Amino acid sequence: MAVSPLPAQNGTSEIKLSAAKAKSLAVRTGSMSKPGNQGAATAKAKGAELAEQLNEETRQKYVKGKKLGEGTYAIVYLGHLKDDPQSLVAIKKIKVNTEYREGLAMDAVRELKHLQELSHPNIIALHSVFSSRNQNLNLVLEYLPQGDLEMLIRDVEGIRYGAAEVKTWMGMLGRAVWFCHENFVLHRDIKPNNLLIAADGEIKLADFGLARSFSDPYRGMTSQVITRWYRPPELLFGARFYSGTVDVWSMGMVFAELILRRPFAMGTTDINQLELICQNIGTPNEENWPGVTKLEGYVKFDNLNSQPVKGRDFYLGTFGLIGSVGVDLLMAMLTLDPRKRSTARQVLDHKWWATDPRPTAKRDLPRKGGGPAKMGEDLKRRGGEIEDGPGDKVARKLNFAAR
Amino acid sequence: MTEDEIYRTSTQYRLWSFTPQTLASLRSTTNQLAVEGVKSAIQSKRAEARGEGGENGERANARSVSPEVDCLTVEEEQRLVGYYCLKTMEFANFCDFPTNVMATAVQYLKRFYLSNSPMTYHPKEMMPIAVFFATKTENNYISLSKFAAKLNNTTTEQVIAPEFLLTQGLRFTFDVRHPQRGLEGGFMELLALASGKGQPAPGIEKSSMELQDEMVNVPPAEANKPQARTPGEVKSRIGSVHDKAKEILKTAALLSDAYFLYTPPQIWMSALLLVDEPLASFYLDTKIPKSSPMRSKLMITLRACMETLQSSPSARPGKDERAACTRIDKKLYKCRNPDKLDLVGMNQAQKRDGESKDGALDEKIVKKRKLERENSMKEGEDVFGPPLPKVANKQEPP
Repeated sequence: MAVSPLPAQNGTSEIKLSAAKAKSLAVRTGSMSKPGNQGAATAKAKGAELAEQLNEETRQKYVKGKKLGEGTYAIVYLGHLKDDPQSLVAIKKIKVNTEYREGLAMDAVRELKHLQELSHPNIIALHSVFSSRNQNLNLVLEYLPQGDLEMLIRDVEGIRYGAAEVKTWMGMLGRAVWFCHENFVLHRDIKPNNLLIAADGEIKLADFGLARSFSDPYRGMTSQVITRWYRPPELLFGARFYSGTVDVWSMGMVFAELILRRPFAMGTTDINQLELICQNIGTPNEENWPGVTKLEGYVKFDNLNSQPVKGRDFYLGTFGLIGSVGVDLLMAMLTLDPRKRSTARQVLDHKWWATDPRPTAKRDLPRKGGGPAKMGEDLKRRGGEIEDGPGDKVARKLNFAAR
Repeated sequence: MTEDEIYRTSTQYRLWSFTPQTLASLRSTTNQLAVEGVKSAIQSKRAEARGEGGENGERANARSVSPEVDCLTVEEEQRLVGYYCLKTMEFANFCDFPTNVMATAVQYLKRFYLSNSPMTYHPKEMMPIAVFFATKTENNYISLSKFAAKLNNTTTEQVIAPEFLLTQGLRFTFDVRHPQRGLEGGFMELLALASGKGQPAPGIEKSSMELQDEMVNVPPAEANKPQARTPGEVKSRIGSVHDKAKEILKTAALLSDAYFLYTPPQIWMSALLLVDEPLASFYLDTKIPKSSPMRSKLMITLRACMETLQSSPSARPGKDERAACTRIDKKLYKCRNPDKLDLVGMNQAQKRDGESKDGALDEKIVKKRKLERENSMKEGEDVFGPPLPKVANKQEPP
């Protein structure tokens, strides 16, 4: 966007917002233009610095309700706007860890940095941020009471769905991922239990604790990201230069999981994950992926594990539900070579979206209703964790030394 | 969704873009609030010293009888912050941090001092955390102990203590959009144009070859300079323009108010115009025709931005400027808010309040327990024991 020479601001006059917009801005973040505001909060904080006053004003806007869940990293509360008890929000309070001497944890820094910038119907909305006493950060998030996609996938008995529903969900996920990449953000932890469901059925991508902006050329990134079952082969091979297609692989794994109703490849270790990819999708080699053998963590697999890349017949047999066009899309997302894999944009341009069946309308989607407690569970997690699974704590700690 | 629409959703646009007027009024409000705070704190400190009355009563009186304190003006605050922005650059460069860490740290300081005054929090104490926090947000994180080791006589605790204050001053928005990346894009486009591979914007009917020919005929930036005659010479012209523009983005763009007043593309285009106006105009011709009303509108903004960049405080301040900053710093010594001097202590007290697991107890709690102990000792001496507690008077548990 920076290359656009068009003036985003017409001189400086366009900063004057329309009254309605200005009002909504004030609700989101407190209005900086009115420091002399005679509100109750201001009176209380008299003499305090402007920043403290603004914080106090934001804090006064919300009422914290009952606890929805508690983890090592955060406590999640139900809350609402003081002026309107109907307007529910989730308040995620980041715990101050006295053991952690490095200040604000990286998960929180990443989540805040990116959620503050990304506003999209399929990305969890961050309404505002304030600190309570003792410097605890409180993230006021959109309230999403219908659980997450993982619950729907697992409830094989209770929840029935077909290609049309899968199309709706994947469409929403695809738009969320495209929007992240369009804003130069890699999510790096896409999986079903980070896809929360709103009251109206809309899917919302959550947990930006592992997200980061695209790197500048020649500057590497850590490969220790994305929960193992959803981690693409290049990261398992230790690649430090990668693109948005890491998220597209995760998206492909979610796509497959929606159809199979179990994770496509449930590796117990990183090597085992690679073995499963070799067996189920194909073994990476210089032919199907030029340059793969030069990756830092490349492992050669013996003949037993060496499988040619699975063709359309295999996919049609296993994922027939989505039809042959759908299978094309899945194969494009699960392409071994990240340079040949679809980008998020290409995913959205695929003809499967325009092929029968039409995606199910939001209101007709099956729902389970995980209820508020499930949101508490989902939000309190750290990036990279799966509860009670062998993939637990995979990417919990980023290895910053290996830069 | 256009690029402009996306930019308008950014926090840099929503919270950190101003008109010159709103920017000035914000700074003056911040200054006024700080002056009030300083005066009231000094007044109550003096009252305490005289041993007058309770704390609460004095605070209220303080405002009515303002003590004579010579406070910093907005302009003095600005110069001092500017000086520490320079220090920030020097320090970030000394640590070999990439440009984006340095640039973000400087903007963090500038943003922080829009709603905070140096009279309340000295920039010397905010500078290290601005850099350290930028290493976190710009993906260049190093451990706090390694970081603190790079500073003389600074403990990890001193670095990290104002972190919360900083994040609050930043209104919990950490993303800073810099013009550097855009400049690199423009540079690549210019090189493509010089190689005969350039693509004009839709609606401009010129072939890549025509553009290449035109480019060779772009007059030199200064009349006495020789004309670039071949595509090769044009490329070396572009190279030197690129270096100079980059330097402006690393200095004047950061030290001036450019980030508050203009968008990243406006800033790098203005830098390009400052360095080589004929070449920059030619580049704009490939985007927006001279006849377009948008072009004249754009030029007004770019000219204003060029002025902002030109009037930036120097990145190499002379003797006079350094002396002026020393004078301001001396003046500040007498008008600092006495309540906010001990950032480490303030931070610890607040943390303790939140988590008392580490065994350290708040002074208040210690006092209260001592009082309780003394009371129970006294009561213990009474043969009938203490009076039964009345529920209504029961003290709240700590």
